[in-house]
Amino acid sequence: MTPQARLILPLLALLATAPALAQESVLMRAMRDELQRTMSELQLRDMSKPYFVSYQVHETTSARATASLGAPVGRSEGASRLLSVEVRVGEASFDNTNLFTRPEFGSALSRAGFPTTLPLEDDYSELRRKIWLATDSAYKQALDHLSKKRAVLQNATQVEQVPDFSVQEPHRHDDARPLAEISVSALEALALEVSAGFRGLPHVSVSEVEVEAASRRVSYVNSEGTSFTRLDPSASVRISAGTQGDDGTTFEDSASVHARVWERLPDRAELLALAADLAERLQQLRAAPVLDRYTGPVLFEGQAAAEVVRQVLVPRLLAVRVPMADDSRLARAMERAGNPFVDKLGSRVLPRFLDVMDDPAREEHEQVALLGGYAIDDEGVAAQQTALIQRGILKTLLSTRNPVQGVPDSNGHRRGGGPAPSNLFVVPRQGLAPDELRSELLSLVEERELEFGIIVRRVGNAAGRISRERGPGSATRSGERSEIAGAVAYKLFADGREEMVGKVVLAGMQESDFRDIVAASEASAVHTARFLAGSGSALGFAAVRRPVVVSLVVPSLLFEDVTVRRPSGNIPRPPLLPHPLAGG
Amino acid sequence: MQQELDRSVETLSGQPTPLYFLSYEITEERTSYARASFGALAGRSDSERRLLDIDLRVGSHSLDNTRPIRGRGGGGRLRLSRVEAPVADIDALRSTLWFQTDRKYREATEQLTKVKTNVQVTVHDEELLADFSAEDEQRSIEDLRSFDLDLAAWEDRLKRYSAPFAQAPHVYSADAVISGSVVTRWYVNSEGSKIRTAEPRVRLVISALTKAEDGMELPRYESFFAFDPSGLPDDATVLDAVERMIRDLAGLRNAPLAEPYTGPAILSGRASGVFFHEILGHRVEGHRQKRDQDAQTFGRMLGETVLPEAFSVIFDPTVTRLGSTDLAGAYRYDNQGVKAQRVPVIQSGVLEQFLMSRTPIKGFGRSNGHGRKQAGFAPVSRQSNLFVEVSELRSEEELKQELIALLEEQGKDYGLYFEDVQGGFTFTGRTVPNAFNVTPVVVYRIYADGRQELVRGVDLIGTPLTTFSKVISAGGEVGVFNGTCGAESGGVPVSAASPAILVSQIEVQKKAKSQVPLPLLPPPDDSRPAPQSLERGGVR
Repeated sequence: MTPQARLILPLLALLATAPALAQESVLMRAMRDELQRTMSELQLRDMSKPYFVSYQVHETTSARATASLGAPVGRSEGASRLLSVEVRVGEASFDNTNLFTRPEFGSALSRAGFPTTLPLEDDYSELRRKIWLATDSAYKQALDHLSKKRAVLQNATQVEQVPDFSVQEPHRHDDARPLAEISVSALEALALEVSAGFRGLPHVSVSEVEVEAASRRVSYVNSEGTSFTRLDPSASVRISAGTQGDDGTTFEDSASVHARVWERLPDRAELLALAADLAERLQQLRAAPVLDRYTGPVLFEGQAAAEVVRQVLVPRLLAVRVPMADDSRLARAMERAGNPFVDKLGSRVLPRFLDVMDDPAREEHEQVALLGGYAIDDEGVAAQQTALIQRGILKTLLSTRNPVQGVPDSNGHRRGGGPAPSNLFVVPRQGLAPDELRSELLSLVEERELEFGIIVRRVGNAAGRISRERGPGSATRSGERSEIAGAVAYKLFADGREEMVGKVVLAGMQESDFRDIVAASEASAVHTARFLAGSGSALGFAAVRRPVVVSLVVPSLLFEDVTVRRPSGNIPRPPLLPHPLAGG
Repeated sequence: MQQELDRSVETLSGQPTPLYFLSYEITEERTSYARASFGALAGRSDSERRLLDIDLRVGSHSLDNTRPIRGRGGGGRLRLSRVEAPVADIDALRSTLWFQTDRKYREATEQLTKVKTNVQVTVHDEELLADFSAEDEQRSIEDLRSFDLDLAAWEDRLKRYSAPFAQAPHVYSADAVISGSVVTRWYVNSEGSKIRTAEPRVRLVISALTKAEDGMELPRYESFFAFDPSGLPDDATVLDAVERMIRDLAGLRNAPLAEPYTGPAILSGRASGVFFHEILGHRVEGHRQKRDQDAQTFGRMLGETVLPEAFSVIFDPTVTRLGSTDLAGAYRYDNQGVKAQRVPVIQSGVLEQFLMSRTPIKGFGRSNGHGRKQAGFAPVSRQSNLFVEVSELRSEEELKQELIALLEEQGKDYGLYFEDVQGGFTFTGRTVPNAFNVTPVVVYRIYADGRQELVRGVDLIGTPLTTFSKVISAGGEVGVFNGTCGAESGGVPVSAASPAILVSQIEVQKKAKSQVPLPLLPPPDDSRPAPQSLERGGVR
């Protein structure tokens, strides 16, 4: 088989579908021109020419400001334009990708796999030069990886014959809106004002407010004729605070709000109210009695339900490919990091009354904005609604053009370094009213002859930890499987009485627990958070792992069996000195 | 800061495990940065951050929580912490100090218990040495400083500085970077010291890289340092340097590959500065004479002759300028509240002193103001401005003649001249070969008839004591290398100044080289794109 024969197809596709675009940006033109030259001319001796090349450029202007108690802590702003080049040699059924190998360093020039800095300005020849050199490195690395993969296969038989790349029709999408300006001073002013909300609250021993905003444009072109430009602006405020109980137990929590653009963030009053809630919650937590250990039915309400879905279930809904490794120890580690749900397609993973779907096109849920949506994904695949779980049966996974067994095609969910949700809906086919759900919990409690049931109203997010404090108590201990920290839980007694409990963690929750969900509420809450694409998987290293914003729409969920207990480990002793502002 | 310090000292000194020393240091860095590549702007950023470092000690000067636990590598407190502190508001700052002090105290008392146990179960050859020196109170409040680095104007200059490389064939990367910062430090300690320093600094770096036909990457750097933007060279000077870089790169690309070689060599002033920084400087850092995992090369050589009598080596952070060059290693107070001092380490060839932080070593109980660190690290003894001073200076020509004489004596065809270096590194540990490596970028062969020939692909290597014994004489102009030195307490700005030196025998090895060949395709067609580039292929 000659490499030339394989090449003709994609090249023709490019030429046939690319009209002469008069309005095209200088950047796009430089990308296209170098792409065309690459596809027709790039070849090392008699080795394979590339069969697929794509360029993706992220243009970002971003700013960040942090403040504590009304005083500035740090701020930064910057602009960048980063190019990622993907070069594939071989053929779609077996190419240079899906190989895990030690990254190579030692060259100042060719760091294939890492983004290349492009000029911020539209300087055509300089853009071409950078793209040219990055393509050259990526091509050489691709050839090297392909030969390494072939070498691995000489000593092993490939069990699964899953192609390395899926077929995709060319697609075009354009968003010509300009990038918004960002004022770091405005961000800082907001951070100062909101952080001042913790003044006069000496029970809050640390607090910080971080405001971030970025405007970003992604420009993409590939050798199959797909191209797009997409705006990905983002803005967020994170309010975090911590305290220490009289016995020394540390408590931390945070509240984050996200918006597409800076102007849509909640106003100051609303943010100050969030800060006040946070302070109040910490105060209550300090005072709440300790719960040693509880195993039994647990009702997750609102944010807590969405957060356990995000942390435990969502990573299993991603079509994450386990790469081949050129080292047997690494290969075993890769296998362990694989997604067990790949083998569960067609099996029941949720109760029959629950569906899960992902919908990048939805913009709101009951007047609450959903922020995970997009028109086109990072590989130029049009966004599409994807039914993941129907009547509890796993139908498919959120996928990219990197196929896994049972999910051969992309459903347009490549975000950042790998597959990720956009707006994920957990939809109850039959839901209960709030009262009914509580009664259901109580009847389970009675059945189990427990003294009380547990309602969890908040679940911490590891990303929400206070950057200034990484003390004992905040970190989940490695070695202990999936401990979810920062839960705010209440005992529910048979008479309907509620009592908050002190700091607890959710121990050992895993995806199989979701099959034993007993009931869900009718109404769903929207929870928006960051999600690191490819997390909990073997992805990463060479790929750019950029957190993306996802929105989850999840009803309250009643789990049959969850363990809630106080955090293990020693409690630090309380401070010897009183807080300086406590009149001490 | 003072209020919280006093409050902490008062309470914590009365605890069962009393505190005996406490210092707070806050480092505020305001940094502006811009970069251009081949005439186009490639990046810019602006940032501010304020980091808090607390040195809290329990026990006593003679034995405290910071003593390294023996038998365990690394040492106890060389640990990076990133605590950000709000400076502008006293209440906010006090809250942070209070919270962090409590944490530190908790850690310190725990650590002291471990230290005391460890002291009882391990052998000690340095047992009489204290952990911390007592120092005098210092009070100095400098005016706050700021400078406006006009980034817009600089972006334009950077574009002009990096543009000429675009016309040079085979230059694969070319960057001009400006980075300006004002570092303000507030320091208070329980000995009564109160110090505020404000240090603006700005650096312009131009770097470019070519590749030889065999794939070897050949870099060339020019860097300019000053305490104020006005101290940087004018356009003409920078553009001259750029032209020289382009010429050097073209020359290097075609230069023959150097062979491994042993024989005489001349190191230019800058090369010699780096050479002394690596082989001597890192080995006279006091704490390295104490830790059990260090080789302690010079530890027992006090009072011995290590260099020719004409040579003296002085570290002096109080000198801010040499000729027309600002010196990056200058400061007024170190990171432990000790006033900067001139330290003649080698006088008339004899090793007399070490660079001292507040960690005492045998024979040196006090600091000489060289306890330095990057914000977020724990200080150790580090270098400042290194000066190689030589009493009998030759002229450049005389040095060359001496080299030629050595060639005949040693039966060599040629010697080497190291004109410029990019930096170097050294190992001072016991478990690795105690070697150094200086990375030259421009090296010439000097033949017996005086002819010079540019070569590429060498690293200057060796072991310190052997190499030191081969230093013969010095001459020519004094060159200054301003750089950042990285070690266990982070990156600190340093400089090294020296005349050119003649070494009777050096060793060079082949440079590790990239295996990646030249780009396969020629550079993209020049500036103007074809208006209908997609039709150029003629397929439609």
